[in-house]
Amino acid sequence: MDPSMVQQTFKAAPLTTEFFLQGSVMENSLETLVNRLKGLCDNADYQQESFQDHEMVFHIKNTSVPTPLVFRVRHSLVQTECWSLRYLGHAEVGDKNRPTLVRSYIDCPTSENVAQFIGELGFRMDHEFVVKGFYFHKGRMKITVSKFYKMNQPGNTTNDTIETVCPSYLVELSVVTSSGQEAVGDDMKNFAEQLKPLVTLEKTDHRKIQLAQT
Amino acid sequence: MQKEEKQLEHTLESLIQRVQDIKNSIANLLVKLENEYNILQWPSVLDNFALLSGQLNTLGKLLRNEKVPPLRNSILLPIALSGDRDPELEKVTERRVIAFNADVVPHYLRTKPEPEVEERLQPVLNRASSLTPEAAQKQINAMNKMTSNIVDIIKSHQETMEKEANQKSSLSQTSSQADTNTLLSAVLTGKGFKSSGMRRTDMAQQQSNMQAQQQAAQQKQQGNAHGKVQSSIKTNIKQGSSTHPYQRN
Repeated sequence: MDPSMVQQTFKAAPLTTEFFLQGSVMENSLETLVNRLKGLCDNADYQQESFQDHEMVFHIKNTSVPTPLVFRVRHSLVQTECWSLRYLGHAEVGDKNRPTLVRSYIDCPTSENVAQFIGELGFRMDHEFVVKGFYFHKGRMKITVSKFYKMNQPGNTTNDTIETVCPSYLVELSVVTSSGQEAVGDDMKNFAEQLKPLVTLEKTDHRKIQLAQT
Repeated sequence: MQKEEKQLEHTLESLIQRVQDIKNSIANLLVKLENEYNILQWPSVLDNFALLSGQLNTLGKLLRNEKVPPLRNSILLPIALSGDRDPELEKVTERRVIAFNADVVPHYLRTKPEPEVEERLQPVLNRASSLTPEAAQKQINAMNKMTSNIVDIIKSHQETMEKEANQKSSLSQTSSQADTNTLLSAVLTGKGFKSSGMRRTDMAQQQSNMQAQQQAAQQKQQGNAHGKVQSSIKTNIKQGSSTHPYQRN
């Protein structure tokens, strides 16, 4: 990673709050959704931008806290030199008036030996997966449409060893900004309205999903 | 006799009333078409037509009514023709007929269709009368067969159209809450990403955690023994839980 880019990222360090909404779209409606997003978002005249990433989720356990600390290492399978380390906080649902979920978000471009580095700090890899999809942006809003793949062989991201987890695509609308900028939520709400009924972007309570999990 | 006359009069009155209604509706529609043709909405035109059709229906019902004497049997006789202006007639006909003269009478009191219509009707009637009843029956049967065929075709089309409509409505589901939940739980907790091998190491870690907790509990117990008297029940619960390290998720 270019050191100047890293520096730039840290200059913008106060942007640590992510406002986001989530939903999913079935495979047969993907094309409709992509076309609609092309029309709604910036750079409509360009080909939509796609991505293929490999994400490794690292946990470190602390005896005093029951839930482990989670760091996510992600790198592009297309531009192999792009690595990043990401921390995502717990999503806050807040009250009814708040239009989006909010969580703390720290994303940092890194060199490709980051996994080794945090491994030596004591992190252990919990799971890994491949994610492929498209991303769009409108102003400061980012929309990702992504499909998740399970890796059958650890560390192997080739197409013949991965399989889909779910036929639907996850749709996320998010804005990363400094904390307290609640106004952005209204823009997001309006944008989400325009994707209805194709996709319902909602505040999904993560605690419920995690509870259903255990 | 008097009763019949009264009935006739009554019928005529209501007939006139109905016809008047229809005339007014037509006039309204014409006024609209002439004056508001640029802002006129199709639904309102349709409303007018619906009104007319309703009024024509009422007229038809009135004529079919049992109480109405057979009007066919009544005769209308022109008693006097005159070339002079008749103000009364002018008023009744809204200035359409000014005088009851030889020009208008044949038109207004006509009992036969117009000559052109009659001309066109005549060959048809001739053909119909020249047919033998058997041939006519044959033709009727053929006609019935054809219509029932057409009805069948229309019905099958209707079925396929309904099917398509149903399919479309089932296609209209573009997202599923269950899939959203599956995806989110995969991203948040790694459900579905972990292979069985990984789960085992996870279990092993959990087990070591349990042991650590157990030790901590024992230490705590010992520490407490120096201080306050520990409730034996509480200790028992802890020990009980620690004997099952393979708790399922």
